[in-house]
Amino acid sequence: MSVFDHDYRPYEGRLTPLGSRPLVLARYALNEAWSSKITIGLFVLALLPSLVELVIIYLADNPIARALVMRGSPALTINESFFLHVLETQCWFALVLASWIAPRLVAFDLSDNALPILLSHPISRFGYLSGKFIALAVSLSYVTWIPCLMLFVYQCYASPEPWAMGHLSLAAGIFAGAAVWIVLLSMVGLAVSSWVKWRVIATGAIFAVVFVPAGVGGIASAILRTRWGLLLNLPVVMTELWQRMLGAPALMNSRLELPTLAMVSVLIIACLLCVAVLNARIRAREVVRG
Amino acid sequence: MGVIQLDRLEVRLGGRTVLAGLTGELRGHAIGLLGPNGAGKSTLINTLLGFHEPASGVARVLGLDARLDRMRIRQNVGYMPENDSFIGNMNGVRFVRYMAELAGLPSAEALERAHEALFYVGLGEVRYRKINTYSLGMKQLIKLAQGLAHGPKLLILDEPTNGLDPNARQRMIQLIKDIRKQGGTKLLISSHLLRDIDETCDEVLILNKGRIAAISNIEEERRSHLNFIELEMEGSTEGFTQKMRSLGCECASFAGGRIKLVMPDALAPRDLYIAAAEQGAQIRRIQLRRDSLEDIFLRAMDYEGGRVDHVRV
Amino acid sequence: MNPVNDTIRFENVSKFYGEVLGVNRVTLSLSPGITTLVGPNGSGKTTLMNLMTGLVQPSRGTISVLGLSPSNATEFFCNVGYCAQFDSFPRGLSGFQFVLDSLMLFGMSEEDAYHLTTESLERVQLSDEAAHRKIAGYSKGMRQKIRLAQAVAHHPRVLVLDEPLNGLDPMARAESLALFQELGRQGMHVIISSHILDEVDRISDRVVLITGGYLIAQGNIHDVRQEVRDKPMQVLIRCDRPDLLASKMFAVNHCVEARLHADGNGVFLRTGDIDEFYRLLNEIAVEGLVKIEAVAPADDNANAIYQYLIGSDGGVS
Repeated sequence: MSVFDHDYRPYEGRLTPLGSRPLVLARYALNEAWSSKITIGLFVLALLPSLVELVIIYLADNPIARALVMRGSPALTINESFFLHVLETQCWFALVLASWIAPRLVAFDLSDNALPILLSHPISRFGYLSGKFIALAVSLSYVTWIPCLMLFVYQCYASPEPWAMGHLSLAAGIFAGAAVWIVLLSMVGLAVSSWVKWRVIATGAIFAVVFVPAGVGGIASAILRTRWGLLLNLPVVMTELWQRMLGAPALMNSRLELPTLAMVSVLIIACLLCVAVLNARIRAREVVRG
Repeated sequence: MGVIQLDRLEVRLGGRTVLAGLTGELRGHAIGLLGPNGAGKSTLINTLLGFHEPASGVARVLGLDARLDRMRIRQNVGYMPENDSFIGNMNGVRFVRYMAELAGLPSAEALERAHEALFYVGLGEVRYRKINTYSLGMKQLIKLAQGLAHGPKLLILDEPTNGLDPNARQRMIQLIKDIRKQGGTKLLISSHLLRDIDETCDEVLILNKGRIAAISNIEEERRSHLNFIELEMEGSTEGFTQKMRSLGCECASFAGGRIKLVMPDALAPRDLYIAAAEQGAQIRRIQLRRDSLEDIFLRAMDYEGGRVDHVRV
Repeated sequence: MNPVNDTIRFENVSKFYGEVLGVNRVTLSLSPGITTLVGPNGSGKTTLMNLMTGLVQPSRGTISVLGLSPSNATEFFCNVGYCAQFDSFPRGLSGFQFVLDSLMLFGMSEEDAYHLTTESLERVQLSDEAAHRKIAGYSKGMRQKIRLAQAVAHHPRVLVLDEPLNGLDPMARAESLALFQELGRQGMHVIISSHILDEVDRISDRVVLITGGYLIAQGNIHDVRQEVRDKPMQVLIRCDRPDLLASKMFAVNHCVEARLHADGNGVFLRTGDIDEFYRLLNEIAVEGLVKIEAVAPADDNANAIYQYLIGSDGGVS
């Protein structure tokens, strides 16, 4: 018989590589974000349009079924415009999901001042944000390019003519378009969540950040009689960009057309603004002046 | 190799120079960090952790440069901040495990070590509750647990007994002493309670207005102050103090029959008793002055105000 | 109002927050001077303070502070100052403005308020330059000082302080304690709640122990100690021959327990008659067979009383 001593002992085992720490953060963040029933609800909601589109693709590729179901409706063609519509729908649902998830990722760390303890571990501020970013990006991927590309694959399979080869660029465009949106949305989501204290308000603020500049831009356009105000109109800018990435026919009349470079610049500036906000708010210690 | 080495360290924040040219080396097992409010203690700790960049000069922790080797330092350091710092939404185990994983422990080991750390600090069933339901004492303990879980070589504690009631404070001090006795982990403790530092530390660094006011080894100081004695007496103290002065002691008397004196080597406590009996007084307490840390601190502050009780010499 | 009424009186006061107990059947009478409230966290200290300052009303029982009742708000609040534990301030104010605004609430002229503010800031030793900075930029110690300044500015007769030394460096602690002693001497009621029991010892006139919402003891520390009869007074004596000393002490019947110190150079002695004990000890010391190096009452202080009455688990022992 012996009496066991449970004193404090140092750790001698192996350590995970330094670069994988942001992934630890991402893992816990994902866990946190998806532990909420609302997240799951929003996710399911976001996939409903895909189901509808799945049925549409089926109908489009099966004339017999279409005849049975639709009896003389206009022809359904699965082309770039269709996928543009799919991408758009999914991306707006992604906005809803992001506005719910992003505050959850950041607010819990900020509300009880966990950053000093978090950052006293071998993770830099950049690593911290990368982890959150990855978590958000993964979550948003589930509702953007993943369902879109799955629909694309299904179309390739279901289509009577060989469809895939001619439309590979479409797939690339879908992925790229979704990626741009995910990056932008994640940056904005994280920045707004780090700025605003309460989660519910952060959710509203994320919507505001997306839509309010549109109004401002519209006013500017009207007063200054220019089309450049449209650059602030995020929905319009994104739709234009997606349209060009997917190769779909132009939607707006040419008078109001915006150069791609200008639109991309606006997005980059928006991202840089978010980086600035994050740099100011994610700190281990606040420095109060005066 | 010292635990902490500073070489003309200068740190500027918000346009102000907070730390101005700190130079020194600390080798103790448990280092106390003292200083008035605004002296730069928090800034120093933040610089050692890599939260602030030095404007010039070098700070080394365990031999690693605080500016260049931040990640390795953080790997080997555990930090218990002064203010509330936790993720309220998580339960205790999850939080400590999360922190341990961030420190590099693989997931399964992190869980084991989390439970070990929680057991060691004394958080029982409470560990399964969310941290935002914890009492103040428990929040302090969870901060300590997350600092210990990954087995750091240096533990930085900022006001560890802040807000704790007497029992919890005793337990925390005992924990700190145990960790120190264990030997594998060094400690850096910042506190305003001289009593706590005196009980737990063997070396102190005293800062004042962004400079080092003193670096001092408490053990050595204590050993050299054996002839300072504090008495509490009943009866006539006037006669007693006169008698003691005539024997060569320096005496100071205070309210309530308290007397402080410095005995020359030739005298022993028995002589005090004899003198007291002669004067018809009774000695009720004899104590070797243990507040050498308070002396060190006041001297370092170059304090004009003197101590709380007024001296009548 | 009785003009010479200078006690704070609680008669059978209970306070419940719904079902949760704040304090139960507390009867207290406090005279001027420094009273320290001691007890574990959550024991009812803050409730007691809130009751005293009129911030909450008792569920049962009556409270009278200097003959005034908390329900008579205007006069009551002029006489009471409260320095709370919590660290919140109105945003955007500087320290000076904060104290000034609080004073203006008493209805005095701006000029008077200005003088009082300056005076109060001087009292807590907060520099003029610091006072005009925004509170958001203050260190913890400065925040504590500004709270204290606000509490004393209007010269209240009752000052209630919830952990006022929290976050202060050793010199500021000493200064604050000196300030409290000064106020106590001037005849104010100073009620302090603190966890740092050796400071409590040094300055209090009386101590109030509370745990779990119940009053456990009140009075002068030494008197309280003597009343804890089931634990005879304990004294630690450091000497070269503890065994000899113990046997000499055992020869008299008031010494009930002797315990050798772990390092072999001292002995803890318990005695039922402390005066006799010291008389005997002085004689033994003069005799010289035992070289006595240090004598200290081991439990005649707030810490020991806390341990005896409240115990190490926070419950009543």
